[in-house]
Amino acid sequence: MIGGGHNGLVAAAYLARAGLKVVVLERRHVLGGAAVTEEVFPGFRFSVASYVVSLLRPEIVRELALPRHGLEILPLDGTFTPLEDDYLWRVNDHGRTVRELRRWSPSDAEAYEDYSRLMVEMARFVKPILSMAPPDPGRFHPREWLPVARLGRDFKNLPSEQQTVFVQLMTMSAADFLDQWFETDPLKATMSASGIIGTFQGVRSPGTAYVLLHHYMGEIDGVLRAWGIPRGGTGAVSNSIAEAARSLGVEIRTEAPVEQLLIHGDEVTGVVLGSGEEVTARLTLSSLDPRQTFDRLTPAGHLDPAFLEEVGRYRYRGSSGKVNLALDGLPDFTCLPGAGDHLRGAISFSPGVDYLEVAYDDAKSGRFSRRPYIDMVIPTLVDPSMAPPGKHVLSCFVQYAPYHLADGDEWDDARREAFGDAVIDTIAERAPNIRELILHRQVLTPRDIEERFGLSEGNIFQGELSLEQLFFNRPLPGWARYRTPLRNLWMCGSATHPGGGIMGASGRLGALQVLRSLRARKAA
Amino acid sequence: MAAERYDAVVVGAGHNGLVTAAYLAKAGPRTLVLERRSRAGGPLATEELAPGVRAPLLADGVGGLQSGVVADLGLRAHGFHALEPDTVAWAPSTDGTSLTLWRDPVRTATELRARPDPRDAEAFLELDRRVRSLAGFVARLQASEPPDLGSPSLADAGTGVTLLNALRRLGREQLREALRVLPMSVADLVGEAVEDELLRGVLGVRGVRYSAMGPRSAGTALNFLWDSAAGGGAAGRTVFARGGPDALVNALLAAARRHGATVRCDAEVAAIRTRDGAVEGVALASGEEIDAGVVASSADPKRTLLGLLDPAEVGPTLGWRAEHIRAPGVVAKVTLVLDGLPTFGGADEERLRGRIVVAPSLDHVERAFNDSKYGRISGEPYLEASIPSLSDPSLAPEGTHVMGVLFQYAPHDLREAAWNQAANDRVADAAVRTLEVHAPGLTERIVARRVVTPAELEQDYGLSGGHPMHGEHALDQFFAWRPLLGHARYRLAGIRGLYLCGAGAHPGGGITGGPGRNAARAILADLPRTRRLGARRSRPSRVG
Repeated sequence: MIGGGHNGLVAAAYLARAGLKVVVLERRHVLGGAAVTEEVFPGFRFSVASYVVSLLRPEIVRELALPRHGLEILPLDGTFTPLEDDYLWRVNDHGRTVRELRRWSPSDAEAYEDYSRLMVEMARFVKPILSMAPPDPGRFHPREWLPVARLGRDFKNLPSEQQTVFVQLMTMSAADFLDQWFETDPLKATMSASGIIGTFQGVRSPGTAYVLLHHYMGEIDGVLRAWGIPRGGTGAVSNSIAEAARSLGVEIRTEAPVEQLLIHGDEVTGVVLGSGEEVTARLTLSSLDPRQTFDRLTPAGHLDPAFLEEVGRYRYRGSSGKVNLALDGLPDFTCLPGAGDHLRGAISFSPGVDYLEVAYDDAKSGRFSRRPYIDMVIPTLVDPSMAPPGKHVLSCFVQYAPYHLADGDEWDDARREAFGDAVIDTIAERAPNIRELILHRQVLTPRDIEERFGLSEGNIFQGELSLEQLFFNRPLPGWARYRTPLRNLWMCGSATHPGGGIMGASGRLGALQVLRSLRARKAA
Repeated sequence: MAAERYDAVVVGAGHNGLVTAAYLAKAGPRTLVLERRSRAGGPLATEELAPGVRAPLLADGVGGLQSGVVADLGLRAHGFHALEPDTVAWAPSTDGTSLTLWRDPVRTATELRARPDPRDAEAFLELDRRVRSLAGFVARLQASEPPDLGSPSLADAGTGVTLLNALRRLGREQLREALRVLPMSVADLVGEAVEDELLRGVLGVRGVRYSAMGPRSAGTALNFLWDSAAGGGAAGRTVFARGGPDALVNALLAAARRHGATVRCDAEVAAIRTRDGAVEGVALASGEEIDAGVVASSADPKRTLLGLLDPAEVGPTLGWRAEHIRAPGVVAKVTLVLDGLPTFGGADEERLRGRIVVAPSLDHVERAFNDSKYGRISGEPYLEASIPSLSDPSLAPEGTHVMGVLFQYAPHDLREAAWNQAANDRVADAAVRTLEVHAPGLTERIVARRVVTPAELEQDYGLSGGHPMHGEHALDQFFAWRPLLGHARYRLAGIRGLYLCGAGAHPGGGITGGPGRNAARAILADLPRTRRLGARRSRPSRVG
């Protein structure tokens, strides 16, 4: 197994569970890939990259008994949107949220009820897609298409209103979709912002509505809340999966960077490590993205140029950065002073749809947003263990920070700091005391994310979640079933369906496809 | 008095209305077309802008007109003649260079070899091949009635099979390619294919023309392919009607009348009359009533559902959905009468016979689009100008020329202003200023100018939101859900005898005749039943 990210670990665990002898090879000294906790500054531990658990599949939590291996998700309650002299504060307590919305718009408060109900219904309908290996439209295999056919039947049985909403979710922009329901700008902005996370698109770009559903998946998963912070940071998720894997007999080696695939003919027989050591295996799985797997690790001459061209066409376009702050105290928002519960959830800098679109316009013209969208959490409020007593860690997911800058400029230290300053300035507009509080600051540009985590172009989802790179097109048309053109080499990273977020679904589905093919081979 | 009675009434004498009427009349039913304005043709309108100069106000190209429509209705016999210049488009760049797209892709490629990035010559031909091979499938898609996804019938299964076979014919790789390309942005589609910014611009704008999207928006690749169904490959087609759009309108009128249809202008339909979930006829603004078992509306779906029908009949849910049909008009048209041919740097007369596309790069177009997001008129617009009088001297007196300029983006909903003379002038000035850069001296040649804005499109032509396509062409208002899921098969609102036959229905807007033709087919398929019911229902009203 190449790569010890959460997907790699999940896949390894499932393979071991089926009786295979598995070794996980991780380049870094820590496990988890982008789902990692590191003590960046003495005493301050950060979920360096990925910072909340959104959609970790309940079947994985169950089947790998993750809680037994130390997984504990602390609820992240609500979303607080600070404005100049007011705020919008939604919490998990539906009643309170509706009361808050009524303050803004009675009709929105009413619409919110129907909207939430409808979205839960829709989430229930699309959920199977997350645990479905996409069929190949290029050929007709009844077994591959059966799940899709089932989905079609379910669609047919939906009330016509929900059929419409489903089509809209798959095709509309988040902002246009929400315009049908709501009038409150900060509400529409904050909700639609979830549709652009990790993509190089704006809230008015068609195809961004679908992600709105993710926020309602958790509710029906039951096992976990939609959004939460793992005790010990997102690295704790990876570690619990790693523990589960070890308990199933998986060997995990860190600081074991894979240099190259071992290939005989068209068959992958193992890998060569940086140390020169060769690890041979019947099966090799890569949880890396296509560029890393096929351009970096695969020796030239083994892949059909047409395939390599498609690999080159696959889009990454990292669009986000991360700013991690070590704080001496808590930020104080002018619109709602004091260290209230509003700091315990997500704090979203998304005052309006235009604000987000302007931020996107900056990115389109090849510069980071002067006033970016920021999704901020203060983990120490729910998990004090992350910082020394009285101190806090604050994590900011920031968009947009395009990987490719205008006029061929490159990300350098100066630009990194300028980007960090823009983020601090944006926060200071709402919480002026932030400046005095900062003890340390870590700024990650897409370039940094690429170098540190091996995510091409710094795309946190191993490739854009745009319509043409989803489902049977993910990662490449004709290669959505976790196989590769090289025999015994499989993909199981976020670049495969369904991809994105700390979901683990790609790792699980990849492993299950591998096992199925083994059974088929035995049968044959 | 007994209301006059027809088998079918068509609301609106735009080209789709006339196409539907002609097809219906040809098949037998007594058909009446009612037009609010004093002339038929809708947006194919022309106006005398200067003594002896009649110029098209909106649409001047007819490149998308389905050949089937021309043949079925014998439009040539009625005086319609297509003029297709060898030049499809000429595009000037900001750096003084320019490129030409010719009808013959090989000729285009030959010129591309002289551009900074000669590799684009082969790349262009490759893209051209891909587009042409997909065009056949898209054309078949456009000609077929969308299936009813809610409760598929046997007929839908039939359609499905036909389309699947069409897909199969593409072959596995093509099929995968098609499914990858359809939801893409046109910026990515042409960006993958060619390197030259100018070439990307002139090709890519075909995906955003008449649309409130920028080239980076998903779904614009589909619009690009949609526009390619009529042929022409990657470059598309530029076709004029000899004698101007009037000639097409007159041919359609003649065809409809020859088959026995009646066309009445200055006859505004105020309401479509219904009873017990079935159409009874229409009521005119004059108070006159006309009975018919079939009413086909070529008005846009919002206007039809919210303006012409009894809200009780439509119902709150459908009403709510109709209100949310997206129709953000962003297109303005500036028409200039010139006392001589402007000289565009680097372009001989022949190169100016096609579209003159000012879109030096897709980023330029994207920036123009950005303005519209905030309710502003593009400061640096994307323009498509054409000088039909070059291919057809009969359009203007000796020495005089008419130049039609498509202007994007000019949003229907302006934030800090209203659509008044000042705003109109801002559009015209921005257009002229932008063209002047490439055609020095243009300004002095202007004898008359006329601006049509989204506001006027809504006011005078009854287009909701001033959207020329009767609703945005986007992934969420397309095929089986254009205008709305469950109402995409021309039969509207579940009201017996009510049909939509305008651009708001599949395959959508443009001078194609596609919706009108498909709608007529659907009506005729239902007709025996509808007519019988129509007759039964109309009896009491006769007595009373």
